[in-house]
Amino acid sequence: MTGWPRGGAGPTLLGALGVVSLAACGVTVPTDPDGTLDRVRGSELRVGVSPHEPWTVTTDGAPTGLEVDLVEGFAETLDADVVWTSGGEEELVGDLERGDLDLVIGGLTASSPWTSHAAVTVAYVTVTDPDGKPEGHVMLTPMGENAFLVELERYLLAQEVEAP
Amino acid sequence: MTQGAVEQSFRFGNTELPPEARDAARKAKRLAWLTIAFLVTAVTLVYLVMGSSQAMKAAWAEDLLSFIPPIAFLVAMRITGRVPTERHPYGYHRSVGIGHLVAATALLTMGAFLVFDSVSGLLAGEHPPVGLIVVLGHQIWSGWLMVAVLAYTCVPAVLLGRAKMPLAEQLHDRVLHADADMNKADWMTGVGGIVGVLGIGVGLWWADSAAALFISASILHDGVKNLRSAVAALMDARATTVDGSEPHPLGGAIDETLRGLEWVGSAASRVRDQGHVFHVEAFVVARDGMPTQEQLQQAWDAVTDLDWKVEDLVVVPVDELPEELLPGLRGDH
Repeated sequence: MTGWPRGGAGPTLLGALGVVSLAACGVTVPTDPDGTLDRVRGSELRVGVSPHEPWTVTTDGAPTGLEVDLVEGFAETLDADVVWTSGGEEELVGDLERGDLDLVIGGLTASSPWTSHAAVTVAYVTVTDPDGKPEGHVMLTPMGENAFLVELERYLLAQEVEAP
Repeated sequence: MTQGAVEQSFRFGNTELPPEARDAARKAKRLAWLTIAFLVTAVTLVYLVMGSSQAMKAAWAEDLLSFIPPIAFLVAMRITGRVPTERHPYGYHRSVGIGHLVAATALLTMGAFLVFDSVSGLLAGEHPPVGLIVVLGHQIWSGWLMVAVLAYTCVPAVLLGRAKMPLAEQLHDRVLHADADMNKADWMTGVGGIVGVLGIGVGLWWADSAAALFISASILHDGVKNLRSAVAALMDARATTVDGSEPHPLGGAIDETLRGLEWVGSAASRVRDQGHVFHVEAFVVARDGMPTQEQLQQAWDAVTDLDWKVEDLVVVPVDELPEELLPGLRGDH
């Protein structure tokens, strides 16, 4: 690797300094590349809900269930109104990827196949699955919207959630 | 020639190492083990915190690949210690070259894969998610943990690399040299990763893939460079210095020594690098007729006294230097 430093080290160091100084000038870390958190605050939170009792129930009228309550509580801390969209998981994750939704819930776990299409929150509660293995329940947020993700995670971790 | 286990570790085939080279070998082995121990901690820590970051993945792959050179070095040191046998009359020195080739191929393959991976991440506009992690009851942004781990991996690697470099030169060990070179440059992987993670932190999603690309390009570069020098040595290229940058000075010194002998009219030799030690064929033309047995013995002694690397030597008395065996005489390089 000798010889490489001439090309790479200088710019890298400059880049590092640049990023560090940016961070020092009051940019919050992490920041959303697409500004989801700022947009939601004081406005509306667009949430996709897929039925998965008892976590989410969408049979009649407005959705209910443990996760629905958690989302309502989170929206309140941001002074935002929740706009619900119900549907199947694939459809909702597609909307999330396109930026038409801010959050998807539906009794999802950390081993969900959607983890390569959406950012997964920390587990807000851990239950034992039918095979006796512990399973963390999570929510999905848009890829890379890290300020929004962290804000939601802080809220979820602050809640005392009991598994239904 | 005794073959005791203890003695074996301080010899390269038939070559008894002089005391200072023996110390260097012992030290280099200790450093190789130390490197492995450090890498175990680095690989574990990076794996634990890497999350979805491409740059962390590339840094992790580089740490994993860094296991190959010290292991190849330790294996080669064991094998080269064997005394030549009827079946292996040239000894086992080539194990260094084989170790080097294996390490270089691994670097090249992994580098190419990671370059592809990070370029496709960049083109697809992948936004890496980095969320919270709970450590001992504290909630922290995982990015900070990644930065801390990457910063940790920078320091010992550079120190190890600096310590190994002079030993690699002294032992003329290309695997150790490649290892030291990679360790020395390892801080750039760390800094590159840190820039990528901090980039994610301030909302520049592409910083991560860009940093990953930088790291993987450096792995690929290492691979190409090492593959070239490993293949050159296995192809019996003229012996070079351990970094492959220039012809080894011993080549010239051997010819000088032979030409300096009273009875020698002209002399030239070809020298190939077996790994640690050289294999030398020296051709001498005596001033008048056939040299005596004593004169040939004197020539042999004079050359082998030059350096411990030159023991596998044949001195051939000839009427005229054979140009077809010594292309250097024709001015071909």
